[in-house]
Amino acid sequence: MDQAVRELSYAQAIQEAMAIALETDERVFLMGEDIGVYGGAFQVTGDLVERFGADRVIDTPISELGGAGVAVGAAVTGLRPIFEFQFSDFATLAMEQIVNQAAKMRYMLGGAVSVPVVMRFPAGSGTGAAAQHSQSLEAWLGHVPGLKVIQPATPHDVKGMLLAAVADPDPVMIFEHKLLYKTKGPVPEGYYTVPIGKAEIRREGRDLTIVATSIMVHKALEAAKTLEAEGIDVEVVDLRTVRPMDKETVIESVKKTSRLLCVYEGVKTLGVGAEVSAMIAESEAFDFLDAPIVRLGGAETPIPYNPELEKATVPQVPDILAAARSLATGSR
Amino acid sequence: MAQAKTKDLPAGANLPFIYREYSAERLKQALHKMYLIRQFEEGAEESYMRGLIHGTMHLSIGQEASAMGICMPLTNDDQITSTHRGHGHCIAKGAEVSKMFAEFFGKTTGYCRGRGGSMHIADVSTGNLGANGIVGGGIPIAVGAALTAKRLKSDRVVISFFGDGANNEGAFHEALNMASLWKLPVIFVCENNGYGMSTSMARSTAVPNVADRAAAYAMPGVIVDGNVLSEVAEASHEAVRRARAGEGPTLIESKTYRYRGHSKSDRNRYRTKEEIDDWMTNRDPIVRYENELMEFGIIDQAGIEAIREAVAKEIADGIEFAKASPSPEIRNLERYVYTETV
Amino acid sequence: MPVEVILPKVDMDMATGRISRWYVDEGAVVKKGDLLFEIETDKAAMEIDAPASGTIRDISGKEGIDIPVGEAVAWIYAEGEASKPAKDMSPVAEFERTPAAPTVAATSALPGLATAKSAPATPSNGARATPLARRLAAKAGLELDAIAGSGPKGRVMRKDVEAAISTPMLEANSPAQPDAIVSRPAASSQPWPAQRAVGTTPLNHAWLRQGVGRPIVLIHGFGADLNSWRPMLAVGPVDAPLLALDLPGHGGSAREVPADLDAIAADVEATLAALDVGPALLVGHSFGAAVAATVAARGHADLRALALIAPAGLGPEINGAFLRGFVRAKSEASLMPWLRQLVSDEQVLSKPFVNATLAQAADSELRAAQGEIADRFFADGTQTFDIRGLLAALRIPVRVIVGANDRIIPASQSAGLPGEVALHMFPATGHMPQVERREQVLKILLEMARA
Repeated sequence: MDQAVRELSYAQAIQEAMAIALETDERVFLMGEDIGVYGGAFQVTGDLVERFGADRVIDTPISELGGAGVAVGAAVTGLRPIFEFQFSDFATLAMEQIVNQAAKMRYMLGGAVSVPVVMRFPAGSGTGAAAQHSQSLEAWLGHVPGLKVIQPATPHDVKGMLLAAVADPDPVMIFEHKLLYKTKGPVPEGYYTVPIGKAEIRREGRDLTIVATSIMVHKALEAAKTLEAEGIDVEVVDLRTVRPMDKETVIESVKKTSRLLCVYEGVKTLGVGAEVSAMIAESEAFDFLDAPIVRLGGAETPIPYNPELEKATVPQVPDILAAARSLATGSR
Repeated sequence: MAQAKTKDLPAGANLPFIYREYSAERLKQALHKMYLIRQFEEGAEESYMRGLIHGTMHLSIGQEASAMGICMPLTNDDQITSTHRGHGHCIAKGAEVSKMFAEFFGKTTGYCRGRGGSMHIADVSTGNLGANGIVGGGIPIAVGAALTAKRLKSDRVVISFFGDGANNEGAFHEALNMASLWKLPVIFVCENNGYGMSTSMARSTAVPNVADRAAAYAMPGVIVDGNVLSEVAEASHEAVRRARAGEGPTLIESKTYRYRGHSKSDRNRYRTKEEIDDWMTNRDPIVRYENELMEFGIIDQAGIEAIREAVAKEIADGIEFAKASPSPEIRNLERYVYTETV
Repeated sequence: MPVEVILPKVDMDMATGRISRWYVDEGAVVKKGDLLFEIETDKAAMEIDAPASGTIRDISGKEGIDIPVGEAVAWIYAEGEASKPAKDMSPVAEFERTPAAPTVAATSALPGLATAKSAPATPSNGARATPLARRLAAKAGLELDAIAGSGPKGRVMRKDVEAAISTPMLEANSPAQPDAIVSRPAASSQPWPAQRAVGTTPLNHAWLRQGVGRPIVLIHGFGADLNSWRPMLAVGPVDAPLLALDLPGHGGSAREVPADLDAIAADVEATLAALDVGPALLVGHSFGAAVAATVAARGHADLRALALIAPAGLGPEINGAFLRGFVRAKSEASLMPWLRQLVSDEQVLSKPFVNATLAQAADSELRAAQGEIADRFFADGTQTFDIRGLLAALRIPVRVIVGANDRIIPASQSAGLPGEVALHMFPATGHMPQVERREQVLKILLEMARA
């Protein structure tokens, strides 16, 4: 298909995906706090309420638990809700509906229903919003069978994966890093999907595999450029989906490079990189490892307010450079 | 349709609602179902004690009129969300006891193919979206289902059953608020059996009646004697009418009592034997309904015996069906986690 | 198995120790618990007892010098035990095992060997190694314990195993196995050399590769040994049979100081004849290149081509400080500055290379012999021999391969060679093009062998 490709921001790409979904599928509707005339806390829904009406772009009360439950109920009975959390942190208020209901309903009922709900979570630090508005909780939800959890890193992917999520019969949780909203990239016009559960090799390399998620993909790519000049040839794998994880792509990459560095913003302990590391340690790639697996994850603290502290909380490019160098030169 | 009215009763009698509303046949069917619920739970209890059912279960013996009365005005297309004490709702809504037993026995022929058990019993084909192990968990889901009904203009109404314990959950309040705000065709049915596990209403809830909460969400709050079938059915009937008419939700508080403990591990320390005996002896919903039916000449003792026997056979057959059914294979453990792609 | 006698750690923070006095002599019969030697530490003298009963041999721990903790200083042989520890060699090691002259007597133990000697009995599980290194080593039939790890805390990594596969220095460095036979797996189209009994050879040698076609014979430079060729071979497939020799006073050859180039050339010729090598490409590095040119000029060996890498004998000048320092260096700290002189890019000085060189440096007898060789052939920092005249007379193809940044023998000496001698000069390369430009040098050699 020849589709025109334009530069869009990540936020515009999401909006375009939602507009396409609303246009092409009567069952689709949006729910969330201040997504109507306000346009969403991050202006992602924008003017969709004007284009599609308040019946399909529904402002909810500040009721994350109830709202999530309504979305689940609507999904089970035939609609395709896209539920926006104002901040991913507010998932904590709705965990009951997400974890006990959305994720398990199909299983508990022996396959009698599907729960095609999409939930969007603006996530991550870097905005100075401190501890309760900056978390990366994808690992929490990634821990729950029945959910699909994705972290698109580019405008292209977020549009394609959101459309794939809407078409998916199961609950899909999208973690969108807030700092990505304004980043731009090529986005084809019209309908297309990017598969859920498929990682993408953003850069091929021989010496070291960096498995990164979300905004860390960009930091890893930036680091890879510097490392290239130093003769370290880095392969960057954009995991894209936390659950179900694309084990094959990661395993093949590690088999090739013999070195694995996981970079993720969520708290390091028990985070996505922990799972990737363990998965590799259990896999056939183990016998190809020529160095310990290294994880760079978020600090074991809440996200602080002070900008310098905040930066220090999550992996930055120099951290990736240092870790990659030590891995590639065998001093680790 | 439920609205087929009874015309062969004594003319001019100031009869309770259901005797004016339903045919003798429907009324006898209602008795049949109430017995079915009672004997199903007794059968399940016995099977449990014999070790045929594992886990736990929450019995609604004593609450049959509440489940039956609420469901009387519903069509097969209407939907319910249920609770951990949901066997009665499931049967009242139309499920087959054989498949329910099979589920309790963990068999593939069960409604949930052995994945759900008692606490997640569901029959989506008759509109039961499922019992729920989380107190209040089904309430927002019912509102979502009602949102679908409104969006799709399906004329469907959705009932959300919950217990008195759920009225203090945030999900209850959030859901009632949204349902009222958006005038959704949903009916909130609180089966108030007096105790959230061991904690009485008086010790847990700041208002004397759950129905009092309705005022906060600008919807009617109706209190009925949950052990009187007609009262329950009448309230349900009116709420369903309102819902279908687009007038929004209703909160019905059906005051009733469970004879058994909260679950099979309850030692009944929070209430007296006298209190339980009083409810069982003087206020049993089935006995009261039978007496009414006989008083109004709709059924006689022999007819009741016939129903009991028929139900007993149905229960025995159901248990046999469940026993004889195959268990799921371990290799299929992960089936139904995600929608299978064909 | 003989029992190793090590210099034990007897004090905290003790990295090296000095034997102040031996109480037994080579060949003495000792009982377990007998006093063997005394160690001086800052605080006290410690007496060290025999760990086993038997005959004490191979006393390498000299009195009064610093010896690293854990290093073998002698071995105790049980009654009737062969004079050298038997080695449980892997198939590959078996293949690499080298017959050599009986004159090459068992000599001192190398530090690197100390662990290797006890290694065969020890499962490899204890070694620190990456999973990849473990897998590669298992595939190659190598014991991990015998591989020097370059990673943190001595962790064996892929590159170490790869280096060991191309340089199993422990086995190859080991002295002769008198009864050994060159045997190698069968390969298609009559791999060379065929299995045969071999007579005595003056020089220690190893078939580093089997193959078909014209054999390539390699002669290392001053202070090195036949293993110094292995890194080059690791870079690509080699289909030609490949024989490497140890010069007299080097590697596993006798610790003797040859009189002149002709004497060495005679040893080379006798070795090639004993091995029935036949028409060959002869390759020499540095001092070995001078030997190779001499062999070629003498005309006794059937040579079809000659490759001289950074050859000595083209001019008078040589880096005398390097020669002296290199021979004297006993520790990594004292050796590294000299090794750096060898190359243009010190990154190529791999840990295994450094370790192998250090192992030799610890062999004081070896280095003593080499010191004498240096004094004889490079007296006062001068090359006392000249091969220019020899080259002019040769009728076989000759190629000279040098590094432009050679700090041992200036590249300028390769100017003014006879017109028919081809010159390859690699920029940004030092005295060891076969290490720093290994792909290219190997390619040149293989081309010459095929020509």
